[in-house]
Amino acid sequence: LSYFCLFHSGAYCKMLLHAAKYPHCAVNGLLVAEKQKEKKKDSHSTPILCVDCIPLFHGTLALAPMLEVALTLIDTWCKENKYVIAGYYQANERTKDFRPNQFAEKVGARIAENFSEAAMIMVDSTRFTMGCYEPILTIYDHHENKWKCRDCNADCFEDWCEAQKITSALLEGRSYESLIDFDNHLDDLRNDWTNPEINKSVLHLC
Amino acid sequence: MSFLYCLNPEKHKLRKWREDNHRNSEQIVDVGEELINEHASKLGDDIWIIYEQVMIAALDCSRDDLAWTCLQELKRQFPGSQRVKRLAGMRLEALEKYEDANKQYDSILQDDPTNTAARKRKISILKAQGKSAEAIRELNEYLEQFVGDQEAWHELSELYINEHDYGKAAFCLEELMMTNPHNHLYCEQYAEVKYTQGGLENLELSRKYFAQALKLNNRNMRALFGLYMSASHIAASPKVNATVKKANVKYATWATNQINRAYQLAGRGTKENKCSVKAVEEMLESITMS
Repeated sequence: LSYFCLFHSGAYCKMLLHAAKYPHCAVNGLLVAEKQKEKKKDSHSTPILCVDCIPLFHGTLALAPMLEVALTLIDTWCKENKYVIAGYYQANERTKDFRPNQFAEKVGARIAENFSEAAMIMVDSTRFTMGCYEPILTIYDHHENKWKCRDCNADCFEDWCEAQKITSALLEGRSYESLIDFDNHLDDLRNDWTNPEINKSVLHLC
Repeated sequence: MSFLYCLNPEKHKLRKWREDNHRNSEQIVDVGEELINEHASKLGDDIWIIYEQVMIAALDCSRDDLAWTCLQELKRQFPGSQRVKRLAGMRLEALEKYEDANKQYDSILQDDPTNTAARKRKISILKAQGKSAEAIRELNEYLEQFVGDQEAWHELSELYINEHDYGKAAFCLEELMMTNPHNHLYCEQYAEVKYTQGGLENLELSRKYFAQALKLNNRNMRALFGLYMSASHIAASPKVNATVKKANVKYATWATNQINRAYQLAGRGTKENKCSVKAVEEMLESITMS
């Protein structure tokens, strides 16, 4: 059974902005997809569209309580918006370290409990450039309790050219300075982790 | 006179960032580079500490050109200084020339075996190379000698958390709480570690320390959420008796009300806030039903 997820430009862009905001830290977050109306038997024909990205934490990732809070609140937000939590991304603290660790696998597995086609995504910071010449993600799918690696290329995007253009423009414009993650929200509740301003910027550039 | 006055806000910004130990390197480079290039002669003795601050920020931004300039100025002004030697070492680290950097730090330590900065840089190199076990070992040795170094204890707790060794991370945070009983952040982090360790005893400890963090700072949202989560889990546990369950439901309810209040105070009635409030209400309903 093969299934694949497509990245919307806004989702890809926010992941990279999050990593760019905290280059000296590990960062992680969630990807959400639109809820499928019916479960089709043939999953080949319906790719999952990752429409948005919710940046979660930066720094020390491997602690449980705030992650649980975030998962619960974001789950409710998803239900209101007919979304489902479809994936988890992580960028490790060390640039050269782009393999998933035990923590990433745990969170990925937890998400896969509620969404069988969940993807775990690792950001490869060694290939991170302002020009965004290539997608810098590695995608892992959950197969029989194991995570299997899948290459990420332009086919994994709704529109790679658009994603590249938008991400590059927002990086140049230092939009990452105003990106809000869940940690920022916990520091000050007025900080909005849905990032409406960045969403607007993305729409303008589409 | 008015021209000199213009410099003060920038200098003040840099000083505040130094004092708060902010790692907003791009901004430091923006402000600092202009000050250095345009107004060096008017900065007086402050220029040296600014060169140091800007150099470190420049390393963070891969601005080796700027870092080199700052380093040369500092070398010229303070020849043979250990502090400047350390900065030279940091530049080598940024260029991933770890062997050369280590040589630099070893030469500092030869002259001054108690130089803590050089020792800590060596540990940072181990971390950068992914040698976590060695970094942990070295840091433990360092702390045997320099038992009061809070930054080191905190760094060690983070290293342990990344290795999922929560028991040892808790020990480091206990040291920090002992020497800083009024620091709400250490209490709250300790509570998070205990919660992550799991098990009823650790959950109860975590609840106590989340509550303590709140006593020290009633605006610590992580502590408030943590109190809610730990009390809810305890209340839901089949291992507790009715009295304990009742007490924890009470704590969780109190926490929910405080969380709701906090969101209302912060909110402008935005959609996201309403969602959070709703989610919190749903969380409360799930405990009282059980």
